[in-house]
Amino acid sequence: MISRRPEEFGDEELVISAQQGERQAFEVLVERYKQKAYHIAFGFTRDREDAKDLSQEAFLHAFSHLKTFDRRSGFYTWFYRILVNLCLDFRRRKGRVSWESLDEKTEKGNGLEKIPNPGPSPDQAAMSGEISTRISAALATLPPKQRAVFLLKNNQGLSIGEIAAVMKSAEGTIKAHLHRAVMALRERLTELA
Amino acid sequence: MAERQELTGACKNFEQDLVLYFYQDCSRAEQQQVEAHLEGCPSCRVFLEELKSLLPATVKPDEPTPAFWQNYSREMRGKLDKRESHGWAGAILSLFRPWPVPALATAMVVALAVTLTFTKGQWFSDTQNKPELVEMASNADFFESLDLLDSMDLLEAVEGKEAQKSETGAQL
Repeated sequence: MISRRPEEFGDEELVISAQQGERQAFEVLVERYKQKAYHIAFGFTRDREDAKDLSQEAFLHAFSHLKTFDRRSGFYTWFYRILVNLCLDFRRRKGRVSWESLDEKTEKGNGLEKIPNPGPSPDQAAMSGEISTRISAALATLPPKQRAVFLLKNNQGLSIGEIAAVMKSAEGTIKAHLHRAVMALRERLTELA
Repeated sequence: MAERQELTGACKNFEQDLVLYFYQDCSRAEQQQVEAHLEGCPSCRVFLEELKSLLPATVKPDEPTPAFWQNYSREMRGKLDKRESHGWAGAILSLFRPWPVPALATAMVVALAVTLTFTKGQWFSDTQNKPELVEMASNADFFESLDLLDSMDLLEAVEGKEAQKSETGAQL
């Protein structure tokens, strides 16, 4: 019998193993989704340390409540729901933060001594600091749910149906949130074009 | 200050469809409907071009180095270890979470009330030994004797009236 490596298992098989107490199976799920989770959290926080903490907290929450997961939806839908709720909660706790100052903090690396600075990508090099700051400020003005829908669609490429499942909302509501978010951003960003 | 660029208005009833069309998240029929509309509507075409130039710029690239991800995984394993080892301790600590405390306090108050209600007589078995209760009891005796005196006066008065009646009867 040829035994497969854990990385080759599907999400559902890994979830079943993890629910039976296989810690390694859960670690494979962490490896599989850590980058997506981090990027979603970064979209909300615009701060590397906060994004790392929030995404790790979401994994810990999922680990603690894995036995209550009934597998009616996909693992990532369930996990994204946990993560988005934590991100929305983070926004409520922090209130309206100054996104300009956060961007500055990220760029200067304040409080991020343990994390090596990522190398600039071609896109990053092309985008001026002012535009980046204005985009962050424009995103920060969106109401939390519009922002969540916009990030899941625009940055993560989830379908309307997937976002509706994650946010536990009707598809029509998600479409309306996305439309309003895009219109608000367009209005604020047009002057940059 | 840069002059603000005028926004191109799209047809209101097509705006939402154009956003979904941009993200390629609409059905084949909706897609064909939008494309047919775009052919004859220059303002919606300009609107779509604006979305194409603006929205990709909102994805702020942040690609941490491999070292960041190694550190992430190591920290995550450490946190999972901690969570696993504190599983039993968490179960005990959960008893001290905010909700069990008022629940226990309520249960204790109810138990005390029930005990006091059903053992009412037994709690004051040493009534005789308490001076204030003895005094109250003697006062009660005093009022009882006053009642007796009142009763005797009444009897005397009744007897007197009967004697008068008999005397009157005899005279007649």
